[in-house]
Amino acid sequence: MTTSEKPKVKTINRLKSMYALRAEVDKMYAAGEDATNTGKPVAWVMLGQWAEPILTAMDVISIYPENYGSVCAAAGKAAPFLEASDAEGFPSHVCGYARNCFGYSAKMKELGGAIPPSAPMGGMPAPTLLVASSEICDARFKWFQALGRYFNAPLGTIESPYPGLKESIEPGTDERSVQFLIAQLREFVTFLEQLLGRKMNWDKLDEVARGLAGINRLRWEINRLRKAHPGPMHSKDLWSSITAAFFRGSESKAILDGFQKMLEEVKQRVASGESALNVPEKFRLSFDGLPPWHSLDIFDKLAARGWNFVIESNYRPYTPVNIDLSKFGDPLERYVRERFQSTNNTLEGEYTPEEAAAVRDEITRTGNSTILQIKHVRDCRCDGMVIHILLSCRSASLNLCAMQQKAVDLLKVPALVLEGDMVNASLFDPADVLKKAEAFEETMAYYKQMRKEAGIPW
Amino acid sequence: MTYYMGIDIGTGTSKGVIVNDTHLEADYTLPSGINYKIAANNLAEELLKKAGISADDIKYTVSTGYGAGSVAGANESISDIRCCVKGIFNLFPDVRTVIDIEGQTTQVIRLGKNGQIANFVTSEKCASGSGRFLDIISNVLQIPLADIGPRSLKSKNPVAFTTACAVFGESEAVSRVAEGVPAEDILAGVHRSMAEKINTMIERVGIEERCAVCGGGALNIGLVKALEDVLKVKLIVPEQPQLVSALGAALFAKEAAEKAGGK
Repeated sequence: MTTSEKPKVKTINRLKSMYALRAEVDKMYAAGEDATNTGKPVAWVMLGQWAEPILTAMDVISIYPENYGSVCAAAGKAAPFLEASDAEGFPSHVCGYARNCFGYSAKMKELGGAIPPSAPMGGMPAPTLLVASSEICDARFKWFQALGRYFNAPLGTIESPYPGLKESIEPGTDERSVQFLIAQLREFVTFLEQLLGRKMNWDKLDEVARGLAGINRLRWEINRLRKAHPGPMHSKDLWSSITAAFFRGSESKAILDGFQKMLEEVKQRVASGESALNVPEKFRLSFDGLPPWHSLDIFDKLAARGWNFVIESNYRPYTPVNIDLSKFGDPLERYVRERFQSTNNTLEGEYTPEEAAAVRDEITRTGNSTILQIKHVRDCRCDGMVIHILLSCRSASLNLCAMQQKAVDLLKVPALVLEGDMVNASLFDPADVLKKAEAFEETMAYYKQMRKEAGIPW
Repeated sequence: MTYYMGIDIGTGTSKGVIVNDTHLEADYTLPSGINYKIAANNLAEELLKKAGISADDIKYTVSTGYGAGSVAGANESISDIRCCVKGIFNLFPDVRTVIDIEGQTTQVIRLGKNGQIANFVTSEKCASGSGRFLDIISNVLQIPLADIGPRSLKSKNPVAFTTACAVFGESEAVSRVAEGVPAEDILAGVHRSMAEKINTMIERVGIEERCAVCGGGALNIGLVKALEDVLKVKLIVPEQPQLVSALGAALFAKEAAEKAGGK
């Protein structure tokens, strides 16, 4: 099959429950359009978990420029924004999401604040405020600082503690992190109250926070079912539903219902042995790194070869926190304690006491944990990993090569390394992927034999 | 007698092989030009002529390479990584690492003991370390491609290139020419730069002896020598290294035909 040909039949058996969740992407941008008409404040928010419920509770419409980068890439509309970013003088190796946003903002400024006509899905309305966060990546604060060139909008910041793995399991780290976050979020609430001239709706915050935590719990349960053979849920279904999972606090009740349906559907598939592919599952794979949003149809072509992407290392739900929230009187504290993702909680929730002790020992000795990093590959008994090295995202890429080596050394699971970018289609070569995929099937067969010889049970 | 054809349409050169049940019957190479379909047709025609057979005598054809989809009448297309491994393992069953230097890309492949692909890496979106870099330098120095290998071996003081990039490397070569640096020193420097770039790929898959080099780049004795210096191993070079993938394709064709025929 050439890269331009589409598989004759739908090779991926999409979850029916996914469609309603995927529709939330459209709804999010429609809400942005409505906000322009109704005068509701619009926040451009950095990806991260903390701001969404607070903004929702303050009746602010939140729009996520990173998410919009993936929307533009998926629609094949990112290139003009990336070029505009280059023309503004931003280096081409800066985060693809940021470049898309810079180009979009530059065009918006040229148009006096109007949405660029080429913007897919209705575009992002001009922001009333900007919300930056220190979570996850290194471009964060500087990106939103740079948006000051284009918008006269106040900038709020949320700093999220990011202790090293070794420090994260040391006594006291979790509590210090929780207290730090509570203080950060309290400042953020004050910032919003002063800016908007109204008080925080704490009951609404409780409601939205509970809703999002419930969504996470359902996603976590769904992910646990993905160990089944054949894999019941393809990575594309997860990627299609992450906007609903992360960014739609205002609709959390409906989305909770949507994920409940997804859980039921996946359970049903597991019980009946229904696969995420419409062809026989020949290879079970994990996808590691951010997906190439511009070329998602490559997964349909790989599915035609029997490649089932059964799990991913990104966008995974965190281990639910099982604590009695009623003992905390402060809604912010309830919120933080329920959503704080600590290594300790992961170890308690995902591992047997013996395994958890082994992980702690490994972290203490080496500062890192192989067991943690490749757990998803082991749990899902993958035949291979596809590692997407992103030329414009260091934080999502740097540990991937180490992960690759560890999977080979410990599990005898090989990795196919693809170079590309999540937004910039010109850095990704689908024809090359298919060529490599064909060769990689031999490699996976070779390592299957190696696993057998090493006594690894799959 | 039954015949099987392997066609490898590369970005620079197209190569073809016809094998029969026991041995290689004919081979042919020609420049790919800008129209791969024409190249593939001409190649098949010349191959058949050389073998003294007609198209009807070919039981199965496998195409490979960048223009694999342009080969009319091919029964199947197989990736050049697999074809390269198939070909080299047929020639040298004890080879465990192969460096395939093609016009557009270079790939390093590690083989299992039964000729399986244990690991591989291909050069990404960059001409450094590929045959195209040699074309560029050949043009800059106005020395025929076939001569640059032997000429570089005469170097006494190889130029240290500050870049592995083919585009900047070309500029650098032009500057050295203007400074009056002898061509052999520039060529030796280019080969060294390419070898170092290829070595970064080899380090990613891990070298295992015995190690072979093939593809059009392996015709360049200067590059092979530079690789041996950098890797500190004696490389195996097939007699016709540029034909290895085409040979692999022909062997796949033979296997497929035999499988279909229940042999």
